[in-house]
Parts: sequence; structure tokens; C-alpha cells
Amino acid sequence: MFRNYLKIAWRNLVKNKGYTIINVGGLALGMAVTVIIGLWVQDELSQNDYFKDKHSIAQVFQSQTFNGEISTGPAIPRPLEKAFRDGYADNFKHIVMSSWNNSLYLKYKEVSISKSGNYMQKPAPEMLDLKILKGQKDGLREVNSIMLSAAVSKILFGEEEPIGKVVEVNSEYNLMVTAVYENIPFNTSFNTTEFIIPWEHYITTSEWIQNAEDSWGNNSFQMFVQIAAHTSIEKVTSAIRNVKLEIDEDNAEFNPQLFLFPMKDWYLRSNFENGKQVGGRIKYVWLFGIIGAFVLLLACINFMNLSTARSEKRGKEVGIRKSIGSQRGQLIYQFLSESFLVVLCAYFFAILIVLFAINGFNELALKEISFPWKNAVFWLVSLLFILFTALLAGSYPALYLSSFKPVDVLKGTFKVGKYAGLPRKILVVVQFTVSVAFIIGTVIVMQQINFAKNRSVGYDKEGLIQVPTMSQDFSGKYELMRAEFLGSGAVVEMSSSSSPTTQVWSNRNGFDWEGKPEGFQEDLAWTEVSPEYAKSLNLKIVEGRDFSREFASDSSGVLINETAKKYLGLTNPIGVLLKDSAEEDPNPPLKIIGVVQDMITQSPYEPIKQGVYVYDSSGNGSYYNLRLNPEKSASENIAVVEGVFKEHFPAIPFQYDFVDDEYGQKFASEERIGTLSGIFTALAILISCLGLFGLTSFVAEQRTKEIGVRKVLGATVFNVWNMLSKDFLKLVIISCFIAIPISYYIMNGWLQDYPYRVVLEWWIFVLAVVGAMGVTVLTVSFQAIKAAKANPVKSLRTE
Amino acid sequence: MLLQLNNIFKWVNSGGQRIFLLKDINLEVHEGEFISIMGPSGSGKSTLLNVIGMLDDFDEGEYDFLHESVHTLKEKHRANLYKEYIGFVFQSYHLLDDLTVKENLEMPLLYKKYKGSERKAMVADMLDRFNIVGKKDLFPAQLSGGQQQLVGVARALISNPKLILADEPTGNLNSQQSEEIMELFKKLNQEGVTIIQVTHSEKNAAYGSRIVSLLDGRKV
Repeated sequence: MFRNYLKIAWRNLVKNKGYTIINVGGLALGMAVTVIIGLWVQDELSQNDYFKDKHSIAQVFQSQTFNGEISTGPAIPRPLEKAFRDGYADNFKHIVMSSWNNSLYLKYKEVSISKSGNYMQKPAPEMLDLKILKGQKDGLREVNSIMLSAAVSKILFGEEEPIGKVVEVNSEYNLMVTAVYENIPFNTSFNTTEFIIPWEHYITTSEWIQNAEDSWGNNSFQMFVQIAAHTSIEKVTSAIRNVKLEIDEDNAEFNPQLFLFPMKDWYLRSNFENGKQVGGRIKYVWLFGIIGAFVLLLACINFMNLSTARSEKRGKEVGIRKSIGSQRGQLIYQFLSESFLVVLCAYFFAILIVLFAINGFNELALKEISFPWKNAVFWLVSLLFILFTALLAGSYPALYLSSFKPVDVLKGTFKVGKYAGLPRKILVVVQFTVSVAFIIGTVIVMQQINFAKNRSVGYDKEGLIQVPTMSQDFSGKYELMRAEFLGSGAVVEMSSSSSPTTQVWSNRNGFDWEGKPEGFQEDLAWTEVSPEYAKSLNLKIVEGRDFSREFASDSSGVLINETAKKYLGLTNPIGVLLKDSAEEDPNPPLKIIGVVQDMITQSPYEPIKQGVYVYDSSGNGSYYNLRLNPEKSASENIAVVEGVFKEHFPAIPFQYDFVDDEYGQKFASEERIGTLSGIFTALAILISCLGLFGLTSFVAEQRTKEIGVRKVLGATVFNVWNMLSKDFLKLVIISCFIAIPISYYIMNGWLQDYPYRVVLEWWIFVLAVVGAMGVTVLTVSFQAIKAAKANPVKSLRTE
Repeated sequence: MLLQLNNIFKWVNSGGQRIFLLKDINLEVHEGEFISIMGPSGSGKSTLLNVIGMLDDFDEGEYDFLHESVHTLKEKHRANLYKEYIGFVFQSYHLLDDLTVKENLEMPLLYKKYKGSERKAMVADMLDRFNIVGKKDLFPAQLSGGQQQLVGVARALISNPKLILADEPTGNLNSQQSEEIMELFKKLNQEGVTIIQVTHSEKNAAYGSRIVSLLDGRKV
């Protein structure tokens, strides 16, 4: 029986090729989108699944209150470790102190590379359950050891045996390779940990780290923990919440609250607002999940509409089968198996599309998703997906078609009633509502990106490169290098700074100044710069003057930005002294000598933070900022700069970034979403139009006789076109009226996340409406004009 | 007795008026009869045939088929009943365009859940009997009208029904083809199959053993 159903379904498909292409093609496109989004969602949700103890690992976070605003972050002070080990050890299976992810130079023989990794305490490999390929798992036992990822080991040692070899790090110290671990996969939070060096070694590298041992105020470290088997994240959190508050009286005014941030939330729910966890990427998982569901729905609607539109043709078959003895249930079963067959074909094509598109998608979405050929679960889910889609697409046609009475359809006088088309119209409205909402959403995302992009950056980011200088090699060489670079002719100005131009790495508080309001807890972005910072960036001085080498007193001078002027409440900032509120501070107070224009260093979607630029006399900046000679090409300049660099630091790989590109990175995440939603919108519209195209051709066919009669009575091509198009245009207009408020509501909510955001203007909505109507008219016209131009004599004869 | 209709009424309401399609029809059919229903267009011939074939409902009256009261049965039982005992032949043949002759013949057997081997044998038998073995793999569109109706009759017969209902079986055929089909019906009737046909043609009606005449939904 089933075979008979499939046979007739198959012949039906082959016979009505146009219908089949629209149906299978539309479904295949829709399913491909859904599969890709499904794979993406799965990848997002399985983030950190590589770590088998995902559910018991957490990071210690701290919330502090400044001026009533709670700010939350992972930075914690060193003495917390001792406090935990002494008083709370039984809560934890492992406590692992860690540095931030650092970029270091690794050198073995002739090979020198820059890679990022962490300094971590001994249990790290066990806690993360790293797969050791060579060497020992407790590879962090000795102070002078290093564990490498397989990729790094391959670059450094090639085919040589790495274990026991000595790697030179930052030209400062030698570490022995004790283990090689399997690369930590891309979809984990430790994907940039390409080597691990013992924490004990970290302490020896810098004085400030040693000094931080008892400093509760120096929040410069990270702590990862795995909780003990008998307890829960919540219990441990409530136990440790006030540890810092109770011990550290100096900072009690900031009300430091500690809590465990579980690994399962690191990736998807990492946003905190005023001390509360408020989601994060999970909203995009939902967003794309919903888009996927809707695109599938659109494709299914096509199927439903085209199937029911063909009901007059299929009606006869229903009548015959019923008169021969088929029951309604059997017919429903038949139509469902038919839709199963179509969906199965469509899925086959969908997989082809996915295979074809997955690389491009990975590039757009910054993913490393591969097609899960060997994953049994995937195929099982696929089967369920096919059944679900077949049911979704096939149930309405099955119920509708099987309800025909044989007497009616066999008499040959069967005509669908006046309202039989109503569900079809509703479905078209649903389709276009979704499409129009997608159009509006995409336009707004693009607008917001452009809006932030067009925002004035405050400095000249073209022709500016930055070179990282975070190793001891660069110490004290700033003046020499400045002279060399300027002398080479490739660089017209140069400065150093403690953070890259596009970021701020340090924030300070604890100052006093004249007129400071009582109890004001200031928070200042802190950048240490060489005197030519403003010049090299083309940053405008709006008040006072720039640093000058001619005034020795400038070494205790600072520049503030315009926002800081307002923030500190200074109407006349020049000459104001910023004193460290700690009494015993040996340094002279900082004197404001100038105000510079605001420049965007953090998120382009947020207001600019109040910042100070402090004279760095030591020349120990983290970056060189080089203004390239505008008269030569960038590549020429870079070649010269590299030559000079190599001359002085032969052991260090030359690295540089265009500030331009770095700044562009700030938009990457939004741009990805913009591009992806743009693509999905285009597909959604395409699918809807395919459906509309199919539907129009059926309507035109159904009304052939009517059109013939009208033409004989004098209707022009335009009249007929108008008659056929009007019905569909009406539906699209209704869709617009539904879609506009919905998308306004959703997009307005999305924009609330961005303090610096575009205003929703009426023309966006008009544009979407006009666009949707234009597409509809085009789609419908193709068939309508064909029908209208047909010779009426022919069409009347066919009756 | 094969079937009995007692005081059957069927009507539709149109604009507040009740229009009768069938009015007080009483009819007894015995096994082995060959009945022709005649009457002008719109007199209710096809409606009566559809009521007998259980494809259509009626509004009042009683209908017994092989001592089962059809009017009290649920749809499923009714379907089982006509599936078992009744075969239909239509004026416009109503073969499924997407199936071959062989597959069209096989279809009623599928609904009666015959096994594959049985189906094969029965289809082969029927093809043989109607002399259309050579056409078994053709689609209906590749056959002439007479041949299509031949297949239609064969399909109606394949599950050995007690009763064949034919709604103007020769309406779309030329005279020679008509004659062949009518001869076939006569032969079948002689073999014991009960036949009820709707026809306009006196000549075709003459093949039958009894004529039921209708006018405006009434027996006359």
C-alpha cells in the first residue's frame, strides 16, 4: 500500500515539474537554512563541552559598587587564593590561579613565534582534563617547565621529540617542555591557551606580581575552581560571597561581592548589568533559532498552499479512491506519505546545499563547524526533523483534500467554495508578515552598524600602526627606537602607550582634587603615554596644551579628555591637581595641563569614558604607535619599519596591526549578525516569492475561462493584470500592517542594548513596505501578464 | 433480497426553500437483477444511484443492504460494506491518470488488504478475461475511451462485488464501443452479478430486466 502511495506521489512529482521544482526547491532551501542554523545553535550550546567537568568548573567573579553602579568582572586579588585555601578548602576539588591570556615569544633554535597562553597553577591540566599526547599530565610541577599544544609543538619542533627540549621565552628565560596536549578546540573558552606555564614561574617574572601577594586592592588575576563533588555552585557562592568584604576593610566601601560564575554560562550568558546576570550571546541563539523556525515555516506554507491550490486536480483522485473503498484515514495517510516523500527529497537537496555552503557560513559566522557525517544523533534528529516537517507541511493539505465528498468531485461540477481560499490567504499573509519583519529587522541592524561606524573616532586611524612591545627586550629602548624609526623616513611620528589605541587596559580611582564632591567614587580610564601621543594620533588639543619635552615638570602632568572634564566637574581644568588620596604617596600630584578631544577607545556603541593620559617617563609602554609616512605606500613603509625592528630585535617576530583594522574589529560581531540576517532575509523572501509565484500560476490557470470571457468582452491586458495582482497586493499590505508594529517592538528592544543608537525612523518601514510590494508585483506580474496575453479563443475552447 | 429502499427523501435547502432531489423512493432489488434507471436531466437518477452506492447521504427513510440498515451505520462500516459488495463504473471512467492499467486494477485490492501474490493473480486473471493483457503497462491517457471504460468495468469487477452501479457507462462512448460495454454487462449479469445502471438511452435500457423511471425525484 505504502509503495503504491509513493509510486503515485512520485509520478505526480515527475509530471508536474514546475510545481515540483517550486515545492522541493523551496523546501530544500528552507530546510538547508534550518539545518545550518541548527548546526550553529548546537555549536553555540556545546561550547566548552570539551571539558568533561563543565558543570562543576567555575570562575570566581567579583561585583563592586562605584557611585551606586555595580560593575562585575573576573579580576580578583591574589590574597583571595590563600583565604580560600585556608578557610574554604573543602568546598573545592581544585583551585587554580591564572594569569590573563598572554602573548609571548617562544623560540627554539631558529624558529621564533608569538603565541598566547596562560600561567596557571598545577591542577589546571587535570581540572580541564587536557588530553596529553606526549609527556606527563602534571607537567606544571617544576617551576621552569612549559606545556605546549600540539600545534605549537609542531611549529617549534617539527618532527623532533619535544619533551625535555628547552624553549626560550621572551628572550628572558628558558623553560623545559614537559608535555604536549591535544589542541583545545575552537569552541571552548580556552581556545587561545596554546601553552601553559606554571603559576610559580609567573610570580618570578615581575615585581608587581610579587607585591600583589597581600594586596587586596590589586584586582589583576583570575581564579578558576572546580567545586567538590558533594556541593553545588550556589552553595559555594553563598559560602564565599563576603570573604573579601570581611577581610579587606580598605575597600569595603565598594562592597565587593564574590560569586562563582559556572563554566556552562561563560559563553552564552556572560553579560552583567548592575550586578545581575542578563544573558549575552544566548539572545542570538534565540534570535537565529527563531529565524530558522520561521524560514522553515515559510517553506512549509508554500507546500501547503500549492498542495491545496491543486485540490481541484487531486479532488478527482480522492473521489475515485473513496468510491473504490478508501477510508478517509487511508487518504490522510496517503497524502502524508506524499509529503514525506517530498520532504525527503528536499532534505537530500538541503544537505547538498549545506555541504556547499558550510565553508562560506563558517567564514561569515566565525565558526569551525564541520558536517557531522558520523554523528548518529545528527541523523536521528534529521529523521525526526523530516517527519516533523512532513507533518507540518502535509497535515493541512491531507486533512483538506481527504475531506472531499466523492459525489461532489466526481460529478465534475466541483468548484472550491468562496471561502476555500481563505486559509491560503491567511498563510500568504503569515509568509509576508515574516518576510517584511525580516526586512525591517535587517535594515535596522545595518543602520545601527553604519550609525556607529560613522561616529567620529576622535583621532586619525588611517595610516597608523601599532606594534606590541610587551617584553623585557623593549625596556628602556623607546627613545632609541623613536630616533631610528623617525630617521628611517617611513614614520613621521611615534609614541608609546600602556594600552593599544583601541582599548583601555587600566582604570584608576582614589584621587582628590579641589571641588571633589563628598563621597564621589571616581573611576578613570588610565593610559600612560609618551609625550608625542596626541601628535602621533592626530588627537586635537581643545584646551591648554600638549605634553612638551621642554618642560621637565610635564613628567607629572596629565591630559584629560573632554568627558573627564565634565565628569570631574571642572569648568577650568588647566592647572588642577589630582592628588592620590593615600597619604603616604611619594609621587608628586598630577597636574592637568590640557584637555584632548574625546576618542573612542572602547565600545563604539557606548558613551566615551572619562579618561586621563599620564606622562610615561619610563618608556615601558605596551605598544608603539607609528604614524606612517603618508607620502609612501603602506607596504613600503612597513618593509622599512620591519627592517629597523629586526636590526634591533632580531629574536622577536615583527608583529603589527593597522589601528584601522583593529577598530573595525569592534563591529565584527554586529556585522556578522547583520550579514547573516541579511542572507536569511533574502532567502526568506526568495522562498515566499517562490510560493507566491506558484500560487499565481494556479490562480491564473483556475481563472483561465474567466479571463477569456473578460477579454472577449473587452478587457485589456492591463485590466486583467490589475485584477490578478490586486488580490495578492491586498494580502501583502495586510502583512505590512501586522509586521510593522511587531518588528518595531522587537528592534526597539534590541537597540536598547546600545546606549549610542540610531533613531527608528518612519522611512525604514515605508521602505520595507515598498520593497515587499515591489517584489510581489514583480512575482505576480510574470504569471498575470502571461495569462492576460493568452488568446481567449484558446482558453475558452479548453473548457 | 439484495437491497431495499423505503420512503427515501433527500433535499437541499436553497434560499429558505426546500428542494427535493429524491421524494419518497421505494425500491427493492433482488440478486441477479439488471435494472436501468431512466429519466430526464435533473430527475435524480445519479443521486439515487449514489444513495444506493452509499456515496451520498439521504435525509429521511430507510435503506437496508443485505439486511444491514445502512442509515444507522457509521461511515467506516458503510465504507467496509460497499468496499466489499459494490463496484462502481463511471461515465467518464475515472481511472487514476498516474497509474498504469495494471495498477489501476490493483488498487481496490489494496484497500481490501489482499496479499501481494493474490493481487497479482487476480489482476492477471482480470486482464486475461477482458483481453487487455497487452495494455497492462499503459497509462489511461494512452487508451481509447472504450478501452478505458473496459478497464473501469474490470476495476469494478475485480473484487467480486455482488452489485455493480454504473452511471451512464456509455455516455462518452461511440455506438460500437457502447454496444460492446452493454454486451459485457449482459454477460456479467448472466453470470450472476446484479447491475443497476443509469442511462438516457432506450437501447441500453433494453439490456436490463427492469426499468425504474424518475421525474423530479419521484418514481413514476
